[in-house]
Amino acid sequence: MIEVKNVTKKYASITAVNDISFSVEDGEVIGFLGPNGAGKTTTMNMITGFIEPTEGQIIINGYDISKKPKKAKKQIGYMPEGVPLYTELTVKEFVNYMAELKLLKGKEKKENVEKTIEETGLLDVQNKLIRNLSRGYKQRTSLAGALVGNPAIIILDEPTVGLDPKQITEIRNLIKELGKKHTVILSSHILSEVSQICEKVIIINNGKIVAIDTPENLETKTKEKNTLLVTVEDPNGNMQNLKEKIAEIEEIKLLKDNEDNTKQYSITSNNQVDLRKVLFEVLPKEDITIFELKKSEATLEEAFIKLIDSNENEETFTEESKVDKEKEKAEKKAAKEKAKEEKKKLKQENKKGGKE
Amino acid sequence: MLAVYKKELKSYFLSPIGYIAIGTFLFVFSLIFYITTISIRSYDMGNLYFNTARYGLLIIIPLISMRMFAEERKTGTEQLLLTSPRSITGIVLGKFFAAVTLVVIILAISLVYYVILCFFKAPNLVPTLIAMFGFLLVAMAAISAGMFVSSITENQIVAAVLTIVLVFLPELTGMFPIINLIDYYQKFPAGLISVTEVVSLLAYMIMFILFTIIVMKRRKSVK
Repeated sequence: MIEVKNVTKKYASITAVNDISFSVEDGEVIGFLGPNGAGKTTTMNMITGFIEPTEGQIIINGYDISKKPKKAKKQIGYMPEGVPLYTELTVKEFVNYMAELKLLKGKEKKENVEKTIEETGLLDVQNKLIRNLSRGYKQRTSLAGALVGNPAIIILDEPTVGLDPKQITEIRNLIKELGKKHTVILSSHILSEVSQICEKVIIINNGKIVAIDTPENLETKTKEKNTLLVTVEDPNGNMQNLKEKIAEIEEIKLLKDNEDNTKQYSITSNNQVDLRKVLFEVLPKEDITIFELKKSEATLEEAFIKLIDSNENEETFTEESKVDKEKEKAEKKAAKEKAKEEKKKLKQENKKGGKE
Repeated sequence: MLAVYKKELKSYFLSPIGYIAIGTFLFVFSLIFYITTISIRSYDMGNLYFNTARYGLLIIIPLISMRMFAEERKTGTEQLLLTSPRSITGIVLGKFFAAVTLVVIILAISLVYYVILCFFKAPNLVPTLIAMFGFLLVAMAAISAGMFVSSITENQIVAAVLTIVLVFLPELTGMFPIINLIDYYQKFPAGLISVTEVVSLLAYMIMFILFTIIVMKRRKSVK
């Protein structure tokens, strides 16, 4: 179990992570989601003990990462961003080294290394130099380095970046398998990936947690309107008057004018109302033939953008106040400099006076 | 410490650096051997080590020490090391002793020249070993300083140049005699072990090892 309590990370002038708290239960697969520069990597680096939080506490399976780093770090397998590897080693040597770093010894180490290499599908390349491997295999090697030693928690920072579609599916399946035995935290900015693999999503933006929920809940929660897409043949142009016939409709928009005389409209209504049945009853009476009728699905993508946008709108207020503060600072500085100059002048005059 | 030590030592020989260091040493050593032993027929092994320390270490040490932490930081493998359940002290010492071992290997190879001299008139073995021991101490001190420099930058070239400035500028220019390592390698070549020299070199070495550990620990909260 990972507990992150009120963690803040400040650099000289920037707050990378601002007072975030969450906990991850054993066996959960959690996705960290956020735009670039949101604080995902910083948070992960703090959980793994690579950097220390300015404030707050991180507890891994009961061990505080800054007070008992050895015991806490032993619980974690980390695959950092950008897949850093010792390229002069072979795959097997690298995995072996990682096992040694994780305090494995003798027979246990040997078995563990062999098992991990097999699990990650590296058997064919285990004696090749990492330098000569393709990107996909490098990624797997890095993953093997995180997995070896069978840590309870596995943290993966953008595990599928830079892979081709086939490799992405392979790595995803591998992560899904891992989720059965380990607690997994992964970060990504690809939403479909997170919604496929993870049970819970933490959306983070500007160093703050915007939402923690299941992917399904996030989709429904952020969906305000119900939109139907309907393709019809409408010789008399009755579609525009539909709003008067069905009171629940909020908006009708023409989306596409197809060449086969059909038109596609989007019909928006309140979230609670399902218009499909009504439309099927009403449209034929108006001499309109339905070719297609479907629900427009709100995706996690929309939810994500919506959440982040709303978060940024809140931020603008604070930014304005920042600007004010900066102005004040500038004014103060100017005043100080003026005072200095006056002092200098006085001194010079005094000197002159002395000379005379 | 042992895991890091083994891997680092292996890395020296998986990359050209180990071989270049050995080659450079042998080149400088052979050159001085030629100048002193063959040209003026001197049997002074101590002098050989002294001059190699003076001119050879200048190239060998930066070569060995520049990559120690700078490379790890640049490639990001530092993250693998620092998130493993190993103490920073263990990591630093592992790397340090791997570099020292490389110097020991180099010194062992240099014994070839002793064997060559034995064919003519065997020089005293004990003073030769003392000169080598002193050479090792000077190299250890220089490596520790180079390691410290390597831990504060991520550019290997910068690390190498700064190491030359820090360790060898005092000898080359005569400034700051107190940190001039060659000044502490005066009695060893004559086959004498001076407590002052041993203590000074060890103190220099320990100081920079501690500095490195502090830098690595500090980085966690600064980074």
